[in-house]
Amino acid sequence: MSPTGTLEFQAKDYKSDLKPIWCPGCGDFAVVQGIYRALAAIGRPPHEIAFVSGIGCSSRIPGYTTAYGFNSVHGRALPIAQGIKMANPDLLVLAAGGDGDGFSIGGGHLPHMVRRNMDIAYIVMDNQIYGLTKGQLSPTSYKGRTSSTSRYGSLEEPVNPLLYMLAYGAGFVAQACPTDLPGMAAIIEAAIRYPGFAFVNIQSPCVTYGEEGQQMKALKAIAEPLDSIGHNSADRLAAMDVAQHYGTKLSLGIFYQNPEPPPTYGDLVKERQEARSKDALPRERILDLFIKK
Amino acid sequence: MTTPAIDLAHLSLKDALDLAILVEDEAKERYEEFAHQMETHRTPEAAQFFRYMIENESKHGRELLARRVERYADTPSTVTRDMLWDVEAPVYDAVRAFMTPRKAMEAAFAAEVKAYEFFDGALASIKDPEVKALFVELRGEELEHQTLVKAEIAKLPPDNPLSDEDFVDPPSAVD
Repeated sequence: MSPTGTLEFQAKDYKSDLKPIWCPGCGDFAVVQGIYRALAAIGRPPHEIAFVSGIGCSSRIPGYTTAYGFNSVHGRALPIAQGIKMANPDLLVLAAGGDGDGFSIGGGHLPHMVRRNMDIAYIVMDNQIYGLTKGQLSPTSYKGRTSSTSRYGSLEEPVNPLLYMLAYGAGFVAQACPTDLPGMAAIIEAAIRYPGFAFVNIQSPCVTYGEEGQQMKALKAIAEPLDSIGHNSADRLAAMDVAQHYGTKLSLGIFYQNPEPPPTYGDLVKERQEARSKDALPRERILDLFIKK
Repeated sequence: MTTPAIDLAHLSLKDALDLAILVEDEAKERYEEFAHQMETHRTPEAAQFFRYMIENESKHGRELLARRVERYADTPSTVTRDMLWDVEAPVYDAVRAFMTPRKAMEAAFAAEVKAYEFFDGALASIKDPEVKALFVELRGEELEHQTLVKAEIAKLPPDNPLSDEDFVDPPSAVD
């Protein structure tokens, strides 16, 4: 039997031969499945996709896909992804990493990605802990959280990534969880399809250093699809209202999607290049200018 | 284009057989992943059980494939794996490093229950009598598998009172 299927690509076409070495039970196993499904639904061939990550457990993810991958430097997935997108605008560019990578060392890049509106989908696997380095507090760890290096509990308020991204002006902000696999894949797909910078926060439990209340069973019990509360994803203020409950509620779905996406940085650059090219010297004469000098 | 969902109401027998094969295939692949995870994380007994499950799922898949080929030869299928989401495949969250064989079997048991519920729930939407008969058969097989796994669990001695947590590294700092 050779099923032809109804799509040009299937999820398996995006799965590499490399086997994940995450801890058994890790939420990231399901996340990568969701990415395979989303990419199959988009239908771009793997060689037209660049997948960039930083450092951390979740940053291993590009290697588990057949796309071009770059497991880069801690916190620097976004600037590298931006460079790739500008160098080859035809590529579909994805960036991924964890909450430590994205909101701590890499946190300074977020507002700039948003204000430039780079056409990149950024997927964060948020587990509220630094898992790879054996369980230290991360920027999304809740206040009071004890860890191997905070025996008396964290004194800091956590970052609220959803609220940050909305406040920065991101055109697409969503949250997903492997408790709802089809929902998660659909959100990733929508993020990739959004023409501009799209942010997806995925609650992906750490089975080794996460607490009982952060595991899949507990998340399933508190998950609330935004559709079920009649949320209007075209309303940024409504999105900010729901996003305030990050850490106390688990709202899943698209918080905000700009119904009229502004041009991307790539579009503006192209437009500028076309406008300026009228007065530009022919390429062969540029060297002459230097020689005359 | 978003992957279309399975239209159970209009499922032909060929598609139903293909679907059943894909269900087994999905479960087999998940057990392969689990066996690899357990071997990587020094949990050989659970790995051994998951290898046993790979054999079971493969065997069932081969039987279904033989029936499919006998009746429909190599007529292309219109059902794809992307239309399924963990029908008989145990959920990723079901496993842990250092899990006992009992817990591995319980994960498989839960997956068999899930598969039973899928076929049982689908029956209400199916109109074709041949497809209905196949789904009743598949549902019955899932029940048999549950019985088999349950019997294997019953043979096991009680788990060691130590929990998985006892194998996690202790904190680097202490009070």
